[in-house]
Amino acid sequence: MPLNRDVLWYKDAIVYQVHVRTFHDSNGDGIGDFQGLEGKLDYLEQLGINTIWLMPFFPSPLRDDGYDIADYNAVHPSYGTLEDFRKFLGAAHDRGIRVIIELVSNHTSDQHPWFQESRSSQDNPRRDWYVWSDTDTRYKGARIIFLDTETSNWAWDPISKSFYWHRFFSHQPDLNYDNPAVREQMWNVMKFWLEMGVDAFRLDAIPYLVEREGTNCENLPETHDVLKELRRKLDEHFPGRMLLAEANQWPADLRPYFGDGDEFHMAFHFPLMPRMFMGLKLEDRKPITEILQQTPEIPPSCQWSLFLRNHDELTLEMVTDMERDYMYDMYAGNKTMRLNLGIRRRLAPLLENDRRRIELMNVMLMSLPGTPIIYYGDEIGMGDNINLGDRNGVRTPMQWNGGWNGGFSAAAPERLYAPLIEDPVYGYPAVNVLRQKASEHSLLNWMQSIITVRKSTAVFGRGSIEFLYPANHRILAYVRRLDNEVVLVVNNLSSSAQAVELDLRRYKGNILIEMFGRNIFPRVGDLPYLLTMGPYQFYWFRLRRI
Amino acid sequence: MAEESYLTDDFLRQLMNVGEVDILIGLPTHNNAKTVGSIVHTIQSGILRGFPRERAVIINADGGSRDGTPELVTGVSIDDMRPASNLHTLRTLHSISTKYASNARSASGAAFRTILAAAELLRPKACVVMSPESANIQPEWLSMLLGPIYRDGFDLVTPTYRRHKFEGLLITNLLYPMTRALYGLRIREAYSPEFGFSGRLGSQFLGQNVWNDETEGAGVELRFTLAAIAGKYRICQSFLGDKDRIERHAVDLVPALRQTAGALFSALEPDFPVWSIVTGSQPASTTGPDHEVLLEPLRVSRKRLREMFLAGIGELESVFQSILSPSTLAELQSIAHLDEEGFRYPAELWVRTVYEFAASYQKSVISRDHIIQALAPLFRGRMFTFLTENRNASAGEVEKNIEDLCLEFESLKPYLLQLWKSRE
Repeated sequence: MPLNRDVLWYKDAIVYQVHVRTFHDSNGDGIGDFQGLEGKLDYLEQLGINTIWLMPFFPSPLRDDGYDIADYNAVHPSYGTLEDFRKFLGAAHDRGIRVIIELVSNHTSDQHPWFQESRSSQDNPRRDWYVWSDTDTRYKGARIIFLDTETSNWAWDPISKSFYWHRFFSHQPDLNYDNPAVREQMWNVMKFWLEMGVDAFRLDAIPYLVEREGTNCENLPETHDVLKELRRKLDEHFPGRMLLAEANQWPADLRPYFGDGDEFHMAFHFPLMPRMFMGLKLEDRKPITEILQQTPEIPPSCQWSLFLRNHDELTLEMVTDMERDYMYDMYAGNKTMRLNLGIRRRLAPLLENDRRRIELMNVMLMSLPGTPIIYYGDEIGMGDNINLGDRNGVRTPMQWNGGWNGGFSAAAPERLYAPLIEDPVYGYPAVNVLRQKASEHSLLNWMQSIITVRKSTAVFGRGSIEFLYPANHRILAYVRRLDNEVVLVVNNLSSSAQAVELDLRRYKGNILIEMFGRNIFPRVGDLPYLLTMGPYQFYWFRLRRI
Repeated sequence: MAEESYLTDDFLRQLMNVGEVDILIGLPTHNNAKTVGSIVHTIQSGILRGFPRERAVIINADGGSRDGTPELVTGVSIDDMRPASNLHTLRTLHSISTKYASNARSASGAAFRTILAAAELLRPKACVVMSPESANIQPEWLSMLLGPIYRDGFDLVTPTYRRHKFEGLLITNLLYPMTRALYGLRIREAYSPEFGFSGRLGSQFLGQNVWNDETEGAGVELRFTLAAIAGKYRICQSFLGDKDRIERHAVDLVPALRQTAGALFSALEPDFPVWSIVTGSQPASTTGPDHEVLLEPLRVSRKRLREMFLAGIGELESVFQSILSPSTLAELQSIAHLDEEGFRYPAELWVRTVYEFAASYQKSVISRDHIIQALAPLFRGRMFTFLTENRNASAGEVEKNIEDLCLEFESLKPYLLQLWKSRE
């Protein structure tokens, strides 16, 4: 299947997030690689996704799972070669699957040659590629992000005998974007991959690119200038490619990253995700409708990116203290599940392996405005291992079958980069692709089905949204509309059966057609439209005037 | 179960949309537009501070207000107070309103019945009824009245207040001592516009036959307290602080007597198996002091009280002959001849009077409502004496006098039992 040439392709994308290390090991060394990933493209094509987002696969000391890059223009030898990547990219494109890669632009590893040069002497030409200071008292307004491990945003470098700035781990020095040479070099990195055919970049940690005294060093105008410059070059040289912003901010603070359609094409909607979990636990639509009401309009060419879980902790930075306490109590009773300001768990364990709730969360993911991202393994309900440190518990090997190493690798189990999940509920003998493919009613087959329905109309990716506010607050209902295409979504957030009356008078005369079974429901009249819904049930109705 | 006719279809629809809740706040109203908006704000604030995670609903049972009271209740949004209080609600906070049957003789009874019926359907763990006129209501009241139920498993929480020594004389001279003597539990405010209760107590009381007797639910809040004591539910008291000053305006005594003495007398027959075997009394579990007394100077016209007592003795002799024993009536007529300086209505005579009224109420020697009306002038005579005796009394002395009266009620309880048995 050739790639769709629509420049707004990202609006119709179903993204699958995967770390090459975790997916499939082709050479038996216990670590996933590009040849292994390429070998599983048929699976992803069958699932229905049309975009892959790869976590960092570059040479790195791997002290932050690859987000500490030591060479931007190569592939980590554990994952293969540049040629392996090229082959994988071509094979993905042959299947109509685009590829997003990471551009960790804010910082490098302290092992990167740039930093090694920079620290080597005050006179080195690359000295100003990083942010140095004689004191650790500058930029006091900047918060510390990794509260569990860092006590300052400055670290002492014994070699150059000065402090360097880092917003994340101290082994990740921040690049100095006030230096034009850094900006030019980062564009060169992008060009390298774009010329190879990469379709998009996820730009990591972008609010922190520039520092200014007297500010919190986030979302500064100078940062936007840097990003606009990159976007201008991208459009000029590589039209149709896309930039995705990772900025864990409130919607109003995120909005400037779209600019006038001249900065990012997409940005993650971080505050929505925890509120979906909150709404489900509270059995109340309020957290969800409230945050979406606060979400500003974005330029027509732009798109929100939605997710339920990812490789990081379920971040609770963008919630109030009261909401955070509630989320911790409800979803992370065991304190070892908590990390920084978040919860390091996968989707299925978070939802107590309740198939109905897992489905409902995916239904909302697929039908709220934005492009959905599925985290690898969540399509089969994989579990996590909270005994592994940091966020490694949600980065365990993909579970392909119930055989040796879950079909992930032929290596001896002790050589695997991380142990497989082996508990009786989520372990690979119970939860794996092979088993679920064989079961008609498996989560995997259900995910395939909902992706198919989602892709049957552009309304979910491109349409407007209008919330209905039925008096029953357990019901989250909205109408998605694109030109003459109208879809009604009704979600029961409650664990019990509910009746709901919807005010559909403006759609009087329309017939409701349920989109999964294509069954016809009664025509809309003057009276409130009554639906009865089972626990966690949902409906997608296409409204047709026939 | 609630009778089908008691809930309108519209109210049922609203309840359906609210669904099961953890906390239910009942707010009976009738033309309370001046105060109800701020009271709902305070209630919402109390919910957010004390029960931020719980599913809560405010049920407004309105008696057909023409001043926009229901609209004010349902229109108050928690968002209105966010800038000032920095409060944020996790959940949808429901405020719904319904009109209760306006033909009921007792508005508070009809309103309370509506609230109980809503609770029956919404299955809250803890409920509270709040007065729409409590000018000094505080957000903490919610926690004080609901907390012991929600968190500690009590079934009824009655309030205690800081009152002026001359406030609440019907309570201190009749309701508290008689309730205590008969039911054996020292509940200071058995009849209050604010109280908390468990869902199971509400459900049990809704099914009792108190709604269709001749009182038509008058003083039903008192009957509720008595039912909780009689049913051996877990009861405690919470100290709320100052009693609302708005209620200092003159209350029409006869309706007040209907709701207190009338309700209490009505309960005695069904509760006879309970109270007839109780001797003495026990203190109730209490959070904070069980009362506090204010002593600030307060101008009270005693002269008028005595005049009304004398008028009653003169005009209602034939009624009293039906109610009172000859000796009690003779003593009352005797004190009526005392001059103002020497006038005293002694505690022992007052207790005997009340007990004889209670027994006559049961016998229905005349219309029960006439019996209650006939008690009014006598109570005024007792008020005169209480005010006189406590004019210069300290808080401790006032409390001792009330305690002495309570003990009088307890010691004369056999006399009531004797009257009761003679009826049989």
